[in-house]
Amino acid sequence: MRNPFLDFRSLPYEKKEIPLDRIVRAKQEIMDRVLEGYLHLVEEEVKDLVWLVEHSHVVRTYSAAVNCIRELHYDQDDIEEFCAELDSAKKIPYMISGPAGIYLSALINHAPEERIVLRPKDYDRTFHFLGYRLPESKTLIIQGNVGDFIGAGLSGGRLVVEGSVGNWCGAGMMNGEILVTGYAGQKTGEWMRGGEIHVDGSIGSLGRSRFGGKIYQRGKLVIPQELDDQY
Amino acid sequence: MTKLDDILKEIWPRVKGKHLYPELPVPICAEGEDRVGLDIKGKKITISREFVEEMSQALEESDTMEGLLDHAISHYLCCPWDFSTHLKLYGEAKDVLRDKGMAQRATDYFMDVVADTHCVSQKETPLPKIYRNFKGGIVDEAIHALYQKIWGIDLAATGYEDISRKLSRLPYLDRTRWRDSIRRFSKVVKVLFEMEEKQGGSNESSPMGDHGLEQYSSQEIEQGLKDLALDAATPSEFREIVHDFEDEILEATESKEQGMGLGPGRSIDADILYYMKLAENYLLPIRRMPTKKSGSLYPHQHVPWEAGKPYQDIDPWTSFGKIMPGITQTWRRREGEIFGQEEGIPDCIVIIDSSGSMTDPRQRLSHAVLGAACACDAYLRNDAQVAVYNFSDARSGGQKILPYSQYRKQIYRTICHYFGGGTRLLTENIEALQTEKAPDIFLITDMQITNLEVLVEYFNACKNRVTAVHIGDNKHVEAFRHSMAVRKNIEIYGVVKKEDIPRIVLGKVQDYLYKKVGP
Amino acid sequence: MNAEVNGALREKVREIYRHIQDNLYFNRPDMEVKGEAFNAGLLMGLLTGLSQGKELIIGEPGLGKTTSAEYICTLLYRIPLGTIWGSEVPGHPEQTEEKIIGRPDLGKLNQGEEVVVWSHFALLPVKIVDEINRLPETKQSMILDGVDRGNWEYLNDAIINREYCLFATANYQDRGTNTIIAPLIDRFDVMVESKHPGPNLAYLIGAQGPNGAALRHEELEGEFQRVMSERLPYQVRMERIGEICDRFGEALAREAGIESLSEEDRQTIRSQKEEIPLELDFNAFLRFVLAELSFCCRYGQKRSHEGCEEGCHFTEYLCNTVRNCVSNRLPISARNFAQTLAWLLGDEKVGLEHLKAVLPFTLAHRIQWKDEIVAQREKEARSDPLEIYMAKQAVREMHRRYMEQGTQVKSALAVACRIMDGASMEPIQGDHPIYWEIRKDLGEEVFKE
Repeated sequence: MRNPFLDFRSLPYEKKEIPLDRIVRAKQEIMDRVLEGYLHLVEEEVKDLVWLVEHSHVVRTYSAAVNCIRELHYDQDDIEEFCAELDSAKKIPYMISGPAGIYLSALINHAPEERIVLRPKDYDRTFHFLGYRLPESKTLIIQGNVGDFIGAGLSGGRLVVEGSVGNWCGAGMMNGEILVTGYAGQKTGEWMRGGEIHVDGSIGSLGRSRFGGKIYQRGKLVIPQELDDQY
Repeated sequence: MTKLDDILKEIWPRVKGKHLYPELPVPICAEGEDRVGLDIKGKKITISREFVEEMSQALEESDTMEGLLDHAISHYLCCPWDFSTHLKLYGEAKDVLRDKGMAQRATDYFMDVVADTHCVSQKETPLPKIYRNFKGGIVDEAIHALYQKIWGIDLAATGYEDISRKLSRLPYLDRTRWRDSIRRFSKVVKVLFEMEEKQGGSNESSPMGDHGLEQYSSQEIEQGLKDLALDAATPSEFREIVHDFEDEILEATESKEQGMGLGPGRSIDADILYYMKLAENYLLPIRRMPTKKSGSLYPHQHVPWEAGKPYQDIDPWTSFGKIMPGITQTWRRREGEIFGQEEGIPDCIVIIDSSGSMTDPRQRLSHAVLGAACACDAYLRNDAQVAVYNFSDARSGGQKILPYSQYRKQIYRTICHYFGGGTRLLTENIEALQTEKAPDIFLITDMQITNLEVLVEYFNACKNRVTAVHIGDNKHVEAFRHSMAVRKNIEIYGVVKKEDIPRIVLGKVQDYLYKKVGP
Repeated sequence: MNAEVNGALREKVREIYRHIQDNLYFNRPDMEVKGEAFNAGLLMGLLTGLSQGKELIIGEPGLGKTTSAEYICTLLYRIPLGTIWGSEVPGHPEQTEEKIIGRPDLGKLNQGEEVVVWSHFALLPVKIVDEINRLPETKQSMILDGVDRGNWEYLNDAIINREYCLFATANYQDRGTNTIIAPLIDRFDVMVESKHPGPNLAYLIGAQGPNGAALRHEELEGEFQRVMSERLPYQVRMERIGEICDRFGEALAREAGIESLSEEDRQTIRSQKEEIPLELDFNAFLRFVLAELSFCCRYGQKRSHEGCEEGCHFTEYLCNTVRNCVSNRLPISARNFAQTLAWLLGDEKVGLEHLKAVLPFTLAHRIQWKDEIVAQREKEARSDPLEIYMAKQAVREMHRRYMEQGTQVKSALAVACRIMDGASMEPIQGDHPIYWEIRKDLGEEVFKE
């Protein structure tokens, strides 16, 4: 076939690239891999779109999540963007709350920054399991209301929630600090072994099985104190 | 002519050529607010003399003017491109920021970033020099920092690393992702707006001027509203945006009163406007005057005669008196065409159910109302008249009757009215709308009419062409179908998806108005 | 190319334009090219005459469709007005091949010899058909075929016109007219409207009337008549006609002060305009337009009998608004007329502005719009007939898209050239149909879900 493009042979092909192109391309690659990791996690851990909240499941899901993100180089902005993707569900066909929150926590725990701010108030969905196993030297600030199991298994980090939390806040936490400016739901501090939970608002109920740690309400220590009967 | 005028005259052809000859009038230099370099009204670009003179301390005048022109043309070429895009971007920003003023500013800044980045990435432009030498407010400085990052050009911007880092991730040059991008953009710049508020607000406008709606022609605004109606998920979404721009829309479309869904006191009734614009997306062409064959054959044209063909139509004159192939011509006859007897379009009666079981058209998109609107539009465009009977519980006063009219806004107002009560109509009211020429009747209902048997009896007796569209299936529908089965002039359509209503209605309209007359 | 000759010729043609506009065909300027205002009907007519094109002129009865063509032909081809009148073919259903092309010499026929008496229409280089849509399709086809090739055949004899151009007029569709069917209307290079000049100019026409008398010459018209009636070989006859044309040109210059074009002038103009190079933007934009008007992601190309699928990705492009596929005659017409326009304006290259100016007129009669698109536009305020208005809007729309991504399009074409030459590169991807078509040309199988 005759070359129909001959007229353009002498046109220099030089795409003028500005830094924006490189930044967007790089970020897009990272996001694609983060999303890929999440979808892979869901595929592995969630059968028939059902995921039961059991301790063994949570632990296994977290390990799987850590595996998924092992080789990734991302930052806080990528985590925020991932939250937005979870919320909009354009690229993610289904958001399963538990694994989504655990995956987010894995991202947060392994992010290079020591201080991370998330803004759930910008989103419609409710996030659960944020701050899971937050390690020492990490501070996670959450602006907005969140769901259940916030700060579960906290491992020395500092978790600040500028809003309210759901049930099982601080469940099984080992060490570290949780500050909640709003209210907390049922079974707060269930299975906690150490660390502190400070709640400025009301607390639905305290967890019955506790093995250590302290809970403060409006600055007053309520656990360990024999005030369980009030709840 | 001043020196600036001369410079403008010299650089305009070059700038125009650089941007591949956009259809813009020749820009002018004029006295203006000294902080506004550019004013784009109705595609006419006006450059502020004071701004150019102020910048001339650091830059050549030609560079300043060229940069401003590049910016203006980029807005025309790239973003927002048209009124519809502008509204969609604004809608997304408003959804995030929930404040009209902030949403407008966020939209303006976003469009500036897109337009400037597009220009810098595609062409050689002195635009960055303007930004390097211009000091603005908090938001302007943050945007300069962003530009510095994404363009890779030193603009002497300092600070705002966090903000510029977040903003630099957005794919500004990807038009398909603008809606997502402006949402994320708005979330980030909200912080800056709040900071500015705390410091007493912004006193300085952008050097590139504000991006109001004056730059759009009334035709662009009409088209934009049409696109927005199609795009909006609900009437309330459309309403919210239209209300925010009501003054500008009214000013820009002053002469088009009939097309604008105007309410009392010249405000826009956004709900009516919504359905009007949506119906415009389903237009049918205007019917041409029908012709039919007369039944008689007349000599029409000459064709060569071939050996073996009959002789009786040979034309001896054009055949030069010869009967031989190649010379002889014979007449081909054709039927004449005359106007058909059926001239003009019948009028139309639209009967629409607005009982409680139907969707409230002001809250959510009502396909029933849309279907009725499409039928009305088709008849009105063919210069017929439309009467509307909107019913709920007619006996208790839940009905609205509009006699034959060609006033769109009246018709739409009647169609869009929602009673939300029971479902009972009065056939006497339909009879009162009948005329000698038996208008076409469109009935749109979910058929849960309590006095359905009365309606059945009425339709059995009438001669009109009736199209009944009902939503869903129930025993009443069966009864209706059964009773109408033998009537040729009545057609009943059931829809499972309400979205099918407009298409069905238009199909019937097309049948009624456009099918050929005669054999 | 001699720049002096170029300039002088151009000035001559411009003078012809000015003379017709000021004295013969009164009408308003209604288009602008590179800052200069023109009347579209007159300009396109001039370009048609210079470039051997075919023009379809539409308009209401009595608005100067035929007369504008007659004046242009007289001054560009140095043929007296009376001769042109005698060569026009009026459109009516009873037209025959004998009246249009030629007839047998009756005397010779009775002696058993076949000798053709060619019509003036076939002989003369300028061909005007009045109300072509009133001709039956067979006759329309006969004329258009003949003008396409310059070949006229009758009774096993043929003549070949050395140069020719066609002006056809048509009233709007009414009961007495046929449609000009698509394959025939596609053969016209441009379609223009001869508009009403407005009440003030119309009054002038009534008060003083156009002064066409200067374009007549009784004596020379008689000579034309004699030469065309003579039974001489075609070439000899045409040489003699050429001589009479030159004498008419001299008479015009002497008596009316009007400079007209000789055959040599016309040939020079044609060769000059062919030498004007085309800019890359012209090249790329024309390909861009052709892509939008011929592409179909589902069926490979547009076809009149195939409709668009709902939810097609390419709904924002013109391929979604048209029914038919644009023909290969479009790029020929567009290039030809744009080059001629560039020559007339004295530009060194044929660019985007020239193409933008002529494209709507080359497209207007070739596009079949979908009914729903027509319905949306027919009530819009405009000053052109609907077909031309929609063509202008379409060109405007495509041009805006091109302005936004022109650089990428050219890059895509440059990369495609390198790939064709054997370079190991990936073709540039994009949304516009041109990118898809480039990939098809490079042998990729592309289709969209």
